[in-house]
Parts: sequence; structure tokens; C-alpha cells
Amino acid sequence: MAEANILEAVQVSKSYPGVRALDQVDFDLRLGEIQALVGQNGAGKSTFIEIVAGSLRPDSGQIVLEGKSYSALDPSQSIELGIQTVHQENQLVDELSVAENIYLYDLPKNRGGFVDYTRCRRATAALLQELGIAVPVTRKISSLTFIEKKLISIAKACSRKAKVLILDEPTASLDEGGKNILFDIIRQGTRRGLSVIYISHNLGEIFEIADRVTVFKDGRKVATHAVAEINMGAVIQEMIGRSSASLYNRQKGVTSAADGEKLEVIDYSRTGAVEHVSFDVHKGEIFGIAGLVGAGRTELARLIFGLDPRDSGRLVYCGRDITPFSPFDAIRKGLGYLTEDRKDSGLVLGRPVFENLSLARFAAGASLLMNLGRERSETGGISKQLDIKTPSLAQRVINLSGGNQQKVVLGKWLYAGSEVLIFDEPTVGVDVGAKTEIYRMMDELARQGKVILMISSDNPELVSVCDRVGVMRDGRLVTILAGAQITEENILRRAMGVIDKE
Amino acid sequence: METKTLAVEGKRRATLSQPLILVLLILAICVVTTIVNPRFLRIQNIINIFLQVSILGVVASGIGMLLVAGQIDISVGTQISLMGVILSMIMQKVLALPDGVVSAWRQALAIPLAIVSTFAVGAVLGLINGITVIKSRASSFIITLGFMSVYHGAALLVSKGASYMLFGRFELLGRGRILGVIPVAIPFFLGMMVIAFIVLKYFRYGRFLYAIGGNKKASYVSGINTNRITLTGYIVVGLCNALAALILISRVGSALATTGDSYALDALASVIVGGVSIAGGKGTALNVFLGVMLIGLISNSLIIMNVNPYVRDVVIGLIIITAVTISQMTGERE
Repeated sequence: MAEANILEAVQVSKSYPGVRALDQVDFDLRLGEIQALVGQNGAGKSTFIEIVAGSLRPDSGQIVLEGKSYSALDPSQSIELGIQTVHQENQLVDELSVAENIYLYDLPKNRGGFVDYTRCRRATAALLQELGIAVPVTRKISSLTFIEKKLISIAKACSRKAKVLILDEPTASLDEGGKNILFDIIRQGTRRGLSVIYISHNLGEIFEIADRVTVFKDGRKVATHAVAEINMGAVIQEMIGRSSASLYNRQKGVTSAADGEKLEVIDYSRTGAVEHVSFDVHKGEIFGIAGLVGAGRTELARLIFGLDPRDSGRLVYCGRDITPFSPFDAIRKGLGYLTEDRKDSGLVLGRPVFENLSLARFAAGASLLMNLGRERSETGGISKQLDIKTPSLAQRVINLSGGNQQKVVLGKWLYAGSEVLIFDEPTVGVDVGAKTEIYRMMDELARQGKVILMISSDNPELVSVCDRVGVMRDGRLVTILAGAQITEENILRRAMGVIDKE
Repeated sequence: METKTLAVEGKRRATLSQPLILVLLILAICVVTTIVNPRFLRIQNIINIFLQVSILGVVASGIGMLLVAGQIDISVGTQISLMGVILSMIMQKVLALPDGVVSAWRQALAIPLAIVSTFAVGAVLGLINGITVIKSRASSFIITLGFMSVYHGAALLVSKGASYMLFGRFELLGRGRILGVIPVAIPFFLGMMVIAFIVLKYFRYGRFLYAIGGNKKASYVSGINTNRITLTGYIVVGLCNALAALILISRVGSALATTGDSYALDALASVIVGGVSIAGGKGTALNVFLGVMLIGLISNSLIIMNVNPYVRDVVIGLIIITAVTISQMTGERE
């Protein structure tokens, strides 16, 4: 059997400070097979393919390629050995032609040292014909459609004598037709002996094209199965694993709010991103929004906060229409939005803690002058209330840890008087201790009667913190789970569109 | 508790260091110049230095506040030239210069009219720059580079390349002295510095300048109308330039299409050397003041030391490059 394996990984491990990203992973890829990698966010799939592609060095373990063993690869060596990666995002040069892009790494030269375009075009034409891709070689990349770009990316990978092709979410944003063309090309490749590692969140697709599927969970390989011998439900079970101890124990469903005391999100839409999303959240409730990356969760949050123009949608709080038209308007109406990327859009990193805490409050105010003494004492109070660990309020935010930075963003909205708080991935890049602290604060805020929306890709987190969880898929809110229905399995099934029929 | 005090001290030292270096540099220049030529320390020369930097200081206060917001305007020099030409032409027309034989009300109206029009033009130029930068979403450096050329051409067109003399009709601002000692221009310079200090420290608007310069996206999400603040910044620059044009023309006594051009380089040099970050979000009125004084001193001491005056621009250019390189290196370390 061993001689049929083109690629093997033996006991590969990789750690980052505080995280074991890969833990003694064994893996084998047979010649000419398509093997899918699945797992939840943070399961270690990306780390694994980066190690195979040579852009990361493993801490320990071996990569075995065609019987030869390597303790680490570097990117050019990996390509030399025939491992090619097609990334999710387009990595072609827009302003060059198809032929130039494909041979960019080694443009053929004529005797004068100039680029030999005739040879380049001919070689490309031959390659595309062999792969069955009908795209004129002189077209500029910028004039190609999405699927054509994807195919050219694959052709480029194949042009370099690829033996192992790694496809990262290749069908993301492809329609059914595009997907079929792509699958045909992949199947043709495997018939000629190409081996493929296929990463996707879409289980349906995996069961359509892959020969085997390998499940990752928390940096470990759970199992590898022949697709013919397993069903989707079992794969999902393995992705979730045995239910680990709850991250945080919250007493749920204790909201004492009267019936009218709620936030109503009514029919929010934006073409291509969000379609007719409606739900209610009571005061004192934590409402989770689950879904895969790209399901439209952040887009929905931006619409609710008035950051992006919407096609439809109204926001009603305790019977009052509070639909905001801009962030300024949103803050005045009591909304707060903790963005997904706090460094990009949450904090002014180079400015002190107290200035960041008071920013939204001053922005919503109207006075010409600031009362600096009052600002100092009140932001000091917020800092104490949230237990922000900083040597002084004058410390620049850039010097704080991830968890404390997140607290500063939260403090900013509390100081601005937000009654409705939207948390977008609040615990990304935050260590375990600070995570629990953030959950505790959300719990506390809910008790105080605030309305809390929590977007998260960390399903266990949603299960342990939320009173109800809405699941989004392709811009739609497909279901709202409550009480005992909130399980990782249910969330994952709905998010991936796997219906209960086995 | 111990770590707390330690960290606070560390922070204080870090913020003090830049102005401290400038003060030391300024003192060093003073010492060297005094040794070469003791006349440098005469009270008359010191007043002279302040007078020489007063126009520069007015321009720098406006552009300094704009830089804090992460924007730049390199058209300030040609803005001043254009306003100088317009203001002188208005004076000439109203007073029927060079004869100057006009009715009493025209005599009385000329200066107020010139001043009001200059400020109006300044506000309009700032508005044009600001709106274009915001709407084009292009880099403010490139947009204002374009406007630098536009205003230069406009000044030539309006003046037809001629010089406009004022025949001593508008001297108070640039040549007058309070009690015969302190030039009138100096209080304007120091006043602008105080205004910049107060705006940056105590005004909501000032705080928003820092926020936008530090992180525009986060500022917008936090409810700040980033476009309005940016636009105001450009208008403030235009108004400061108007004041500078008034002082300059009053001092020179005539206007050419290029009279104010050199202020763009000097003002930017002052602000950057002073320690206002070109990336935005950093810098105070003290930084601007010290930068202005340093640039002014270098010019003055080169003259006092009898160095070829053409050396001046070379020195100032090198100082900008050095200052930016240093701040880039310290910035990267963070």
C-alpha cells in the first residue's frame, strides 16, 4: 500500500503561543485520489496545508513525498517537488494575459534575452487544451469571469508538473454550472495521476467529488473514511467530537422583560449579501448568529448599524423605530457595534485608552469643548468596571493585550450609553482567560437589560452563551434554535445545509 | 502598584523626548551661532527671528492640524501667492493707486474689503481642496500637488505676470510695531499657536482630528463624521493661509504671482521636523511651535554666520529627510 501513497505526513505537530494548532497528525494521500479535509474553524486544516505547501515549518514530524522524507519544506522546494496550492482568493496578475500569468514564474526567453511570446502562447494553448479549458490565451485576466480565473489558477498549478494539487475552498462563490466545469477538470486531472487535497465547508460537494474524507478537530486528525462508507451525519458528529465541557455556564432564559421590551429586526435585505432577515431579541437576552464564513452575518450587522446602504429593513426597539441611517445616528439611538476586526475598525491604536473609551460618546455629543476632568474620572470608572488591565488610562491601546483591547471597545459603547450591543466575533485573538471574562460581561450586561447580538464562528461558544441562536446560510436566516435545540450539531447542520435525512 | 508607577514614568519620558531633542537642538544652534557671531544674542535679533517666523508659524498652525488628521496640503504656498495677488489688486482698484486720489469712504473701505475678501478666498480654496480630496478618495498629496499647479497658474493669469505695489497703504500688519518695539505680526503668530493648542487639546473637533488621523475606519464606526472633520481641516488651512497672505503682503508692500510659494516647503518642513506624524494621529501645538522655531533659527543663523544663502534650502531639505527617516524608524519599532 505504501508505494501507492504519493504524500504522507507522519506525526506532524505545530504550536503557537497558547495554541496547539496541530497535534501529531498522520496523513496519507494516495496516487490519483481526491481527499477532502473537513473540520470547524480552527481545527487545523489551514495549518496543515501550509505545512505541506512549505509556508510553515512544523515543530516536529515528517513529510514524506514519493518515499522521500523531509522534516520541513520551504515554498519553492515544495513547488519543485510538485505540490501546488490554489488559494481561495485570486492570485493572478490582472493586467497580464492568460499565457503570461501561467508562465510568470519562468517566462520563456529567446536568444536576445527577451520574452518569447510565441513560445509562451503555444505552450499555454497546448496546456489548456490538454486540461480541456477553453479560454483564449491572449485574454487579459481582468476580462475573465470568476470561473475562468479559477480554471486558469488550476491550469497554472498544473503547468508546473503538479503531482499534488491543494484546492482551498475552490467552489466558494461559484454557481452550479461553474462547479460542474471545475469538477470535470479535477476529475480529468486525477485520471492522469494527479492527487488532490480538497478543502471545503460544503459537505454535499465533498460527497460528490471526493474519494476519501479526513476530519480534523482541535488540531488532531479524527479519522479518514472512504466517502462511500460514511454519511454526512457521521462526518458532522466527528467534526464536533465528544461534547467538551461547557466553556461557560450561564443561566439561560431568565429574562424577565415584558413582552414589548424587545428589539425587532424586520426584513433586512441587501442584494447579494443579506436576504429578508427578520428576528426579535428580548431585553436581557443573548441572541447568537451562527453561520459559515461568507453567510452574510457581518453584512447583516453592518446593515443593522447603518454602516452600509440597505434595500429594505427596519429596526424597532420597545415599539420605537430606531432604524439608523449612519453610525452617528445609530449611537444616538442606543446601538453599539463591536466590529469583527478591532484593530482595523474598532480602536485608534496609537491613542490612549481614555480617548478610545470616550470616542463614541463625544462623537454623539454636540458641545464644542470637552470636559477633560469629567472624561478622566468617568473613563476611569468604566475601566475599573470592566477591569481593563492597563498601567494608566494614558497608555496607548496598541500596548494592551487582545482581551483588554476588546474590553476597551466594549467600554467605548457602554460609555456611549448603548442599549443594543452587537458583538462580531468578540473572542477572536483573545486568550482563554479573557474569553471567559468577556462571556461574564455579556452575561452581566444581559442581566442589566441590554439587548445582545453575538455573531460567532465558534459554535461551542454560541452553545454555552446564547439564549437563542439564529443560523444564517447564503444571506438567509434559515432557522432559529432555542433551548435544548442549541447544539453544535444542529448549528453545523443548518449552517452547511445538511438536512435531516439519512 | 509598583509596575503602575514605572509604566507611567516610562510613558512620560517617551512623550517628552521629541520636544526635548528639539529644544536641545535649538539651544545648540544658538550657542554655535553666538560663538561665530555674538550679535546673534542681541534682543533686536531675537525679535527679528520671531518676526521672520511669524508668517511661517501662521501657515504651519493650519497645516499642522491638518496633518494630525492624516491629510496633507502642499498647495499652501501658491494659495498664499494667489491670495496676495487678489488682495493687492483689490487695494489698487479701490484706492485707484498709484495716484490714490479717491473719496474718503473708498479710503476707509479699502482695507476692510481686502481683508474680508482674502479670508473669503482662503475659505473657498480650502473648501475646493477638501471636497476634491474627499470625493476623489485619492491621496491628498497628489490632489493638492495638482492644486498647487492650478493656483500658481491662476495667480499668473489674474496678475498677468505683473507686480502690484501698495505704496505704503497697508503697512500696519506686516511692518507696524506695538509701542515701537514688538512687531504686530508676532502676536498673530503666537495667537495662532495658542489657538492650535486649545483646539487640539480641549475641543471635540481637535480630538476627532487625532481619531481620524489614527484610524479613520474606527472613527467612522464610532460615529464621527469623518468627511466633515476633514473638510473643516482644509478650510482652516485656507483661512490660516489668508492670514499669512495678509501679513506677508503688508510686510513686502507688493505682490507677485510667486510671492508666497516658498511657504509650502518651509511650513511642511517645520511641522514634520517638529514631530507631527505625516501618517496622522500624532502631534501637538508644541511640536509645531518648536519646528517653526527650528526652521526659523536655521535660516537666521545661516545669515548671521554669513553662509551663502543658497545653502539654506539644501539644509532644510536635508532636515526634512532626516526627520522623516528618524520618525519612520522609531515608528516601525513600535
